[in-house]
Amino acid sequence: MQRQPTLLSSCASAATAAEARYRITVPSFTRRSSRVIALDGQAAAVVKGLAEQAWNGGRFFVFESALPDDALLRRVVAGDAGDAADGPGTGTALLSEELDDADTVVMIASAAANATAASVIGDAAADRSIMTAGLVLPGAVPPGGAVSALRPNAMVLVVLREVADVPEVLSALRV
Amino acid sequence: MLKQEINELLTQTGPGTAMGAMFRQYWIPALLAEELPENDCAPVRVKLLSERLLAFRDSEGRYGLIDEFCAHRGVSLWFGRNEESGLRCAYHGWKYDVNGQCVEVPSEPDERHSALCAKIKLTSYPMVKIGDVLWTYMGDPAKTPELPEWEFARVPEGHSFTSKRWQESNWLQALEGGIDSSHVSWLHSDGLKNDPLFKGAQGNKYNLADRKPFFEVVESEGGLYIGVRRNAEEGHYYWRITPWVMPSFTMIPPRGDHPIHGHFWIPIDDENCWAWSYDYHPVRPLTEGELRAMREGKGVHNEYVPGTFRPLQNKDNDYLMDRAAQKRGDTYSGVRGISMQDASLQESMGPIVDRTKERLVSTDSGIIMARRKLWRAVEALRDEGVTPPGVDTAHQAVRSAAIVLPADQSFIEGASEALTVRPGEKHASV
Repeated sequence: MQRQPTLLSSCASAATAAEARYRITVPSFTRRSSRVIALDGQAAAVVKGLAEQAWNGGRFFVFESALPDDALLRRVVAGDAGDAADGPGTGTALLSEELDDADTVVMIASAAANATAASVIGDAAADRSIMTAGLVLPGAVPPGGAVSALRPNAMVLVVLREVADVPEVLSALRV
Repeated sequence: MLKQEINELLTQTGPGTAMGAMFRQYWIPALLAEELPENDCAPVRVKLLSERLLAFRDSEGRYGLIDEFCAHRGVSLWFGRNEESGLRCAYHGWKYDVNGQCVEVPSEPDERHSALCAKIKLTSYPMVKIGDVLWTYMGDPAKTPELPEWEFARVPEGHSFTSKRWQESNWLQALEGGIDSSHVSWLHSDGLKNDPLFKGAQGNKYNLADRKPFFEVVESEGGLYIGVRRNAEEGHYYWRITPWVMPSFTMIPPRGDHPIHGHFWIPIDDENCWAWSYDYHPVRPLTEGELRAMREGKGVHNEYVPGTFRPLQNKDNDYLMDRAAQKRGDTYSGVRGISMQDASLQESMGPIVDRTKERLVSTDSGIIMARRKLWRAVEALRDEGVTPPGVDTAHQAVRSAAIVLPADQSFIEGASEALTVRPGEKHASV
């Protein structure tokens, strides 16, 4: 095997704490475009709380209903502008339009997860090669139903024991 | 992404730090038992959690782990004489027992001797041999937990093999490699075909046929289960399930009848850690062929710079990178061996990676949840004195599993028995 000499400046040997301070500091990525969608009532309450916080461009929704080849979502923003006080059609969005510029979809569900919603969203994301994740909320009922509903439709499923972990997971994903 | 203060919270483990206090709640691996092979053998220097310590075995076979430096003038006791039930400093002959208690100050007059000795005691920690490992507990003696019950250390002699290596990175990035199941299909793809401790298993065909696995992360009492599913026969999934028990124990899912293996990552200091690697079989002794392969550095083990625990492939020789092998496809990264494939990349991140700059994706959810659980446990211990998960020996009774389940079955339900230690029963493996 022909080998090149290892120099002091080579990448492996230079991986020191002192060197780390001089690494390139320009962010190597643009802002992520995430969609967080609640699939049921308990999840909707969590998403409404999340929407009150500051995020990295992520948008929050509650699944409303399936449409032929699409779905209707209700947008949730700070101040809960997407609540029922809005008139018909306001604060709503089509899933297809929301996925146009999305790169991540996070579905949040409780044990009462809406399997149809998970399927519609999962299929639409898969068609567009969008990364999907599912967060299953803790509850009194075992999460088997939610897990079954989400499993075929989310590349990653996380079954949580604490609702407080939801914002931490989303922050780590730069939602 | 992690805030800088949380990164520091989780990566700093020296005395007085919150994460250091958490590590000091557990029995942790300190030395291989073979490092102290007989009574009055040479003492061994070992640094753990940023503390420089000296391990020795006295004339009665008692193990001691004490401050490395003599209380008199700060000389390293490694130069000392291990004789007559104690370790005697080579400088002025001060002698200490396995509890760090000074028992002789030869220069002092007899009438003052006992009183002076009674006032001199080095820091010391208990050390016990379980399996191939000498374990220590560096926390409050009043809160000493039950001795560890990890199955790899409790199986009959001859059923297990343990090694350790020096890794030049913080413990957390090493641990995160252990629960990052998504890298296996890439970085270690050659191991499934070539490594004598992995190849030939029925499950390997599922691995190689489906390179886009799905992940499920489920919290457990002691940490997490990270399930990775791939397509199997019609209507079934092949699951590989990795348990992580806090703070740093992981088990790799088995392959066929090969032994089960896994790791412990223990901080040496904030920029180095011990990567402990074990293999064991619950129901049979390891074969001569398996032991030979492990000693030769196959599977999760590695070769060494002779006379040290530094890997033969290390950052000073670019891990013996072989570009031709990489180009041929013999290895994915050009680095030989599973453990050094991991170590080379984890060390390349720097001693403590800056997690404020990373861009995690959904398949990193295991890592995200592990950090979150560590963070929560560290704060609960620091603020409320809550004993962290993993101290309770019931949390240690876990196994990894490789199992085929119906597509509609939750792995945590379908594999619940397989994920639990069942003494005398074989592990669940495909």
